[in-house]
Amino acid sequence: MRRVALSPRPDWTEQVERLGFAFHTIDGETYWDESAAFAFTLEEIERDIEGPTEALEQLCFAFIEKALDSEETLTRLAIPAEHWDYVRESWQRGDRNLYGRLDLAYDGHGPAKLLEYNADTPTALFESSVVQWDWLEQAMARGAIPKGSDQFNSLHERLIAAFGALREPSPYRLHLTCVQDSPEDKGTVDYLADCAVQAGLDARFTYIEELGLLTDGRFCDGANQPIETLFKLYPWEWMFRESYGSALAGSRCQFIEPPWKAVLSNKGLLACLWEMEPGHPNLLPAFFEGDPRCATLSARHVRKPLYSREGANVTLLERGRVLDSDDGPYGAEGHVLQDAATNLFSSEGNYAVLGSWLVASQACGLCLREDASPITKNTSRFLPHYIEP
Amino acid sequence: MKRSSQIGLAAVGVILVATVWSMTSDDKEENLVYNSLSDCRAAGQLTAQQCETAFAEATAARLKDAPKFQSQSACETQYGASGCSSASIGGAQYFIPALAGFMLARGLSGAQAQAQPLMPPTAATCPPGSTLPECQQARSSSSGSSGGSGYYGGSSRSRAYSTTSGRSITAAFSSGSRGGSASTTSTSSRGGFGSIARSFSSHSSS
Repeated sequence: MRRVALSPRPDWTEQVERLGFAFHTIDGETYWDESAAFAFTLEEIERDIEGPTEALEQLCFAFIEKALDSEETLTRLAIPAEHWDYVRESWQRGDRNLYGRLDLAYDGHGPAKLLEYNADTPTALFESSVVQWDWLEQAMARGAIPKGSDQFNSLHERLIAAFGALREPSPYRLHLTCVQDSPEDKGTVDYLADCAVQAGLDARFTYIEELGLLTDGRFCDGANQPIETLFKLYPWEWMFRESYGSALAGSRCQFIEPPWKAVLSNKGLLACLWEMEPGHPNLLPAFFEGDPRCATLSARHVRKPLYSREGANVTLLERGRVLDSDDGPYGAEGHVLQDAATNLFSSEGNYAVLGSWLVASQACGLCLREDASPITKNTSRFLPHYIEP
Repeated sequence: MKRSSQIGLAAVGVILVATVWSMTSDDKEENLVYNSLSDCRAAGQLTAQQCETAFAEATAARLKDAPKFQSQSACETQYGASGCSSASIGGAQYFIPALAGFMLARGLSGAQAQAQPLMPPTAATCPPGSTLPECQQARSSSSGSSGGSGYYGGSSRSRAYSTTSGRSITAAFSSGSRGGSASTTSTSSRGGFGSIARSFSSHSSS
C-alpha cells in the first residue's frame, strides 16, 4: 500500500461533472481529491481486505443469530423493545440486504482492523463505483499510472445484479427515499435508482417527508401510490422512534436495508463482536462504557456513541486527555470505548481510512477517505485507488 | 479483473431530474427539464446563476423560434386551450405557445448546449380527448401565461411537451410529484417520517 502523488487532470471538475457527480466540492473544500492515489498489490487486496471483509460479515451474521435471542443484547444496542419482533421476523424471513461498508484501519502491514460497520445507510457509493472507475480508465490512458492496473471495484455490476434478486418475482416496483435538502444523500439515491432501472425495476423516488400512510396500513409515496418495496437512505434507529414507527410492522413493505441491519448499524456491535471473538485478528478490543473491562483498554482509545454518523461525537483519548473530537448531536443512547487503531495509514500529516464495500454480503469494492485528523468526518477527502499490475 | 467491465451509460443521468425521450424512437437522451425558474432553483442540480441563464436563454429562444399565429384561436387549435399567450415581436402582435418549461441537454461530450424552450404538446401529439395521462395533465393545467408552473405538481410522473422545431417529447420526472390520487385506498396521514433528521439538521447517512 503506497500513497502516490499525481497531478490531477487539468479538467478534472469537468470530467467528474460529466458523470453527474455534483458534490465533488463541499462547502468550498475539495471532497474528490485526485492529487494522490493509493496503490495496492493484488495480494493486499485479496488477503487483507476482501477476505477479512467477508469473514467479518459472516461473524456479524453469527452475532445476529445470538443477539435476536437475547433481550439483554437488544437492550444494550438500544433497539426499542416494541420493535424486537419486527427485527426478528425480518431475519427469520430471510429479507435480503443490498449493501454496506466496513471502515477499516490498514497500512499495508498486518491485519486490517474493523473501525465500524456502516450497515444501514452508507454513502460515498457513487464516487466509489463510477467516478473512481472512470478516473482509473483515464489515468491509465494518459499514462499517469501503469497500463494494466486494476481496481477493487465491481460495485456497479454487483448492485444491478443485487437489485434484480432482492425480491421475487422480479422485476418489481421499487420506491427509493431520502431526506430533503441533502445533495449527497439525493445523489446516492439517484445512483441506486439508476442501477435499479438497469436491473429492469420500476423505480420511483419520493422524499421521506412525503411518505404517507394509507387506510389499509400500507405506506404510500407523494402521489399516494402504495409502497411495496422501499429503499430508504434513512436510519432504522430514527424510523423506530418516529411517529410512523408503530406502522412499520403492519405495512407489508419490504425494506432495503432490512430491519435486521439495525443490529449491525450500531457501534455497540464493536463491543459485542469483541466479546464473541476476543482476539480476532480483524477486531480491536472494545467494550460498552461502564463495563469494568474498559480498564483493560489501551491508554489511547476512542469513545464512540452507539448511534453516530460521519464521525460526529467521536472522541480520541490518550490517558484521559482528549486528542481529537468532533462535535455532534449523538450520544444519548450510550457509548462504546474501542482501542485506537495502531495501523491507521498516515502520510505527510494525513490519515486514511479504508471503506470496504459489500453488495449482497459479498466484498466487491474499496474507497479511501483521508483527513488531517485521525477521526474521519463528513468533510474528509475521497481519494481513488488502483491495483498495481 | 477486480473491477466492473463497464459502467452503464444510464449512470450518466444519475443526478438528472428528468429523462427525456423522443416519442418516435427508443433513443433516450439525458436532459434536465424544469417547468419554471423556481423549480430549477429548488432542484439544486444547477446554481441559481445557471438557472437564470438557462431560463433567459429559453425565454429568448421562444420569442425567436416559436411558431407565430395571428390569432389566439389559431394558436390554441395547435396548442390547446390556454396554451398560448400574446407577444410583441418586432413591433407586431402575435400569439405564440406558452413557455411550459425549459430543457438543457447534457450529452456525454460534457458540452452544455443552450437551453431550449418547451411548449405545450401539440394537437398532433395530444389530440383533444386523448386519454394519455401526460396529455390530460398538460391540457388541464395549462396556465396560459409565461409561468407554466401548472405543468408541475400533478399526480402524473410524465409530461408531454413540444419543441420549437415541432418535435414531441415526454419528460419522466423522477421526483417531486404531489397530490392527485390514482389509488383507490385513501391516505390517512402523511409525514410520519423525517422528524429526527429535521431536529438534528445532521447527516442521516454515513
